[in-house]
Amino acid sequence: MTLISRFSKVYGSSRLLRGLLFGVIAAPVGYLLGHWLASLPTLGDWKPDWSDLLAVTVGLLMVGMGVGILIVSANRKALGRQLDPERGVPATPAQTIYYVQNAVVLLLAGVMIVTPVAVRAAFDGPPVIIASIAMTGLIALFLLQSAVNLSVWMRSDELVRRAMVEIAALAFMILQAALFLWAAGQKLGLLPVLTLWDATPVMMAVYLLISFVVAWRRGLT
Amino acid sequence: MKNRLKVLRAERDWSQADLADKLQVSRQTINALETGKYDPSLPLAFRIARLFEQPIEAIFQDEA
Repeated sequence: MTLISRFSKVYGSSRLLRGLLFGVIAAPVGYLLGHWLASLPTLGDWKPDWSDLLAVTVGLLMVGMGVGILIVSANRKALGRQLDPERGVPATPAQTIYYVQNAVVLLLAGVMIVTPVAVRAAFDGPPVIIASIAMTGLIALFLLQSAVNLSVWMRSDELVRRAMVEIAALAFMILQAALFLWAAGQKLGLLPVLTLWDATPVMMAVYLLISFVVAWRRGLT
Repeated sequence: MKNRLKVLRAERDWSQADLADKLQVSRQTINALETGKYDPSLPLAFRIARLFEQPIEAIFQDEA
């Protein structure tokens, strides 16, 4: 029995993708929260710009989805009902772990995208030592999230893997086209300059949107 | 691609979850197969054919 087949009875995509639906509702809340944060008195001269607000919105959205999945995962009976309403049997420990891993991936992604803005807001022009500590933490979180992501992939069945591949392919096509066209427009002096940080929350938001569309199309919502 | 998965499952009085357990996939995958939202990989198609003891072409039909 392979590692994949051993874990093949463990799934969580449906829950995760329902979380994305929750995200559609939570997004405006996050956006309003971002605006509220922007209206707060600033530390020093720093003012968040649109990409910071989008990063906070997307980040809080992901954290909210992660927390939602964790709450459901904490109750194996509730999780079982979500997985299989027909039988309604409690989720197995392996299924629970799979859901928790999905939640951890979302939580870490949310924390990672909010961290640079939070550090910048707390320390206007953060000292090198603070910036270095934050960057080290981000790299550690990124490595941890990558490991958990890999585990999720290995535990997923072929439908979920197909959906993941489609999401990745669509995201690449759309984002590389947008990147090229914007860069060309910028070079020609027709479009404003975007920083890498400006592009990052846009990329995450587009990725989330594509995830929802693919999941819906594959019947995973 | 059309398939007779739902009929074959009903003939045996299996739930989607029962079939999912036998094929070691998720219930969502069975549902996606039955509703035509997903075509199985070749290995999964073979597993389905073996389980129902029928040739693949008797279970899956190309719509073309």
